[in-house]
Amino acid sequence: MTDLAVRSPVALLRRVTQPARSMGRRVEGRSVYLILTLTAAGLVLLGWFLPWFVGPFTAGTGFSPQDVVSSAPTGFATVLVYVMGASALIVVLSPLAELVARLRKMTLGVRVDQVRAIAGAAGLVAAVLVYVLVGVIREEPAFGVLSSTTITNSAVWLTMYGFGVALFAYGAKGLVLTRPNLAFAIAALPFGALLPLMFHQAPDFLLWAASSLAIYTLLALGLNVVVGFAGLLDLGYAAFFAIGAYACASLSSPIHGIHLPLWVLIFLGAAIAAIFGALLGAPTLRLRGDYLAIVTLGFGEIIPDLATNNVFNLTGGPNGLPGIDQPKIGPVDFGTSPQWYYWSIVAVTLISVLLLRNLQRARVGRAWVALREDEVAAAATGINTTTTKLLAFAIGASVSGLAGAFYGSMLTAISPDAFQFQVSIAVLSIIVLGGIGNITGVILGSFVLTFVIFWALPHAHEWSATFAHNFNVSAVGNINFPQYTYIIYGAALILMMLLRPGGLLPSRARRIELQTGVESESLAAVQGRA
Amino acid sequence: MTATAPAPPVAQGDAPKPALLELRAIDVFYGRIQALRSVSLDVADGEIVALIGSNGAGKTTTLHTISGLIHPSRGEIYLRGQRINTLGAERIARLGVGHSPEGRRLFQRMTVRENLEMGAYARRDREGMRDDYERVYTLFPRLRERHSQLAGSLSGGEQQMVAIGRALMSAPSVLLLDEPSLGLAPVLVDVIFEVIREINAKGTTILLIEQNARLALKNANRAYVLETGSISLSGPAEELLNSPAVQRAYLGV
Repeated sequence: MTDLAVRSPVALLRRVTQPARSMGRRVEGRSVYLILTLTAAGLVLLGWFLPWFVGPFTAGTGFSPQDVVSSAPTGFATVLVYVMGASALIVVLSPLAELVARLRKMTLGVRVDQVRAIAGAAGLVAAVLVYVLVGVIREEPAFGVLSSTTITNSAVWLTMYGFGVALFAYGAKGLVLTRPNLAFAIAALPFGALLPLMFHQAPDFLLWAASSLAIYTLLALGLNVVVGFAGLLDLGYAAFFAIGAYACASLSSPIHGIHLPLWVLIFLGAAIAAIFGALLGAPTLRLRGDYLAIVTLGFGEIIPDLATNNVFNLTGGPNGLPGIDQPKIGPVDFGTSPQWYYWSIVAVTLISVLLLRNLQRARVGRAWVALREDEVAAAATGINTTTTKLLAFAIGASVSGLAGAFYGSMLTAISPDAFQFQVSIAVLSIIVLGGIGNITGVILGSFVLTFVIFWALPHAHEWSATFAHNFNVSAVGNINFPQYTYIIYGAALILMMLLRPGGLLPSRARRIELQTGVESESLAAVQGRA
Repeated sequence: MTATAPAPPVAQGDAPKPALLELRAIDVFYGRIQALRSVSLDVADGEIVALIGSNGAGKTTTLHTISGLIHPSRGEIYLRGQRINTLGAERIARLGVGHSPEGRRLFQRMTVRENLEMGAYARRDREGMRDDYERVYTLFPRLRERHSQLAGSLSGGEQQMVAIGRALMSAPSVLLLDEPSLGLAPVLVDVIFEVIREINAKGTTILLIEQNARLALKNANRAYVLETGSISLSGPAEELLNSPAVQRAYLGV
């Protein structure tokens, strides 16, 4: 390996991230395994260092397990923290060790995974005990003035989760490799469900999480039906989101004096968006690829413009619709406890995922694939191309109607600004990043993109300022991260396309297309119309 | 829907049978360009009928018109006496027209098995479908070996087998084959045509397009010659094979 030193970092990265040559589940399993490995390391690191970054200026540097180690270590809790530290080192460094081993074409022994799984388990137990100690025995001297309402709480939660993921990824490696989707669900579901508990001291974050993470996940799932399953490129998807949101807002605000409950509205919103989906689909039936993209782009521009111009006096013009109802169920007021929004949307998302998975495996799912592969052959085998395409548009749009219903209620006001072209592009980026046509990949993509791009980057300024304050590095504190958001966003997408064009978790079809290349002609071309 | 019952193969020179498929004075336009001019042809139950002609004569257009991918601007098409030229492609496929299109047009990123399943998309009879998988795998033992392989990764001959198999999976009463020999090695062409005769012997009527006129005429019962959009000659295949006009124009004699 003498050329190792001269090889560029990009080439190294490509070698590590490229899927293996062989096809089938195993490749996807390796991707999920790699992702879980990195997630575990990332969460443990984040948990360990979060207090340093997020701790408020006035309250000092906050608490980190690191502080316990560096300050005079005494007592039982300190032992626990050392255990956590050792486990964290193994969890964080083992992917690096694996990387080096892979580059040097060595195989790590079978025991390695056992060691890492044990490290995960030990770290998890230690972190749980620390958490219990924080809550129960606050007098434990090693923990100082710690209280469960500070950011430390989140840090311990993240640490615990990281260790849990490590335990799962290394302990059940066989399952991860053979049933990647199931493994991903086992790893991600508790995180999705527990997020509000992990960050219950930060209501702003929760509202953000509900509005961005969950809604973008729903939108991406819907667009994935149109673009991923049926292969119809839609650049105006935000239009359906807008239609759903405006329809629901009109029916639950003082504007028309109609106050329907949210649970009725989500179905209404979905139905109305689905109708508009079919309406847009109808004139574009003969179009494919670039032509279809341009028509949908136009539709995506028209809808927000109609809303801005207050068409039929329904949309409230540029100011939008204010005063949208927030639901109350018994003692739970969604307006004051945003975590209930979050949980409702997660539940709706889960149900949507199950329904969409069934659709994908049902007759209509196979018809979509056939349509995407070869429209002429699909028609010749007895598939009704018209209804199949319209169904893709309608179902895709209906999912965005669900998101629209929640969106308006959560923010209590909507305006045309929220449904511009950038939203369509962001949703498209999510599915491209995650893996077009693969539901698991799309969910992963929305996690990554919303966390990194829409949350981490806007907050990076505060973190770097805190970091600069704590470590006296003023240069770091002056970087204006929000200014660079779109540069980093764009660079990330370009890198992604170069290194892993199929997305983080490519669908089988996409992977094969990238390896062999497939061409397809439209039905209209055969009919001499295109 | 049930699988077609095996009918005895038709010997040449039999008394005229009622037409299974009938085209009456079909005109087809691509925009302002006329592709077919008053094309009439009929295919009787149990026959192999060949449609020969040079590049651009309208052979593929004729098949596309029969299976409903293109609609004629004038004329009628009947399947077992039922008028089908106004129906959509998916309805015609369900009525029993199996089409193996030009250039094979497989679902490349599906496996061989999934391609066959797509062929049976319109069917609901599980038993009949199971028998037909068996039938296709018996006709093409190669496909059984490769059933979990991706269609796009197969050789040209194997892809042609999948295309024919997929069309057969709809249990068609008439099978339209568009250039089954295109781009295949001579050995494979023989294999494919042997299977085509076997399919016909088991009762499936076949309408076949070929550029290789000699091959088509040797295997068919009857044939039509298509020239710039209209039928110029028709008759028993053997007769056409010996006709001086056909020999000059298509057989290079």
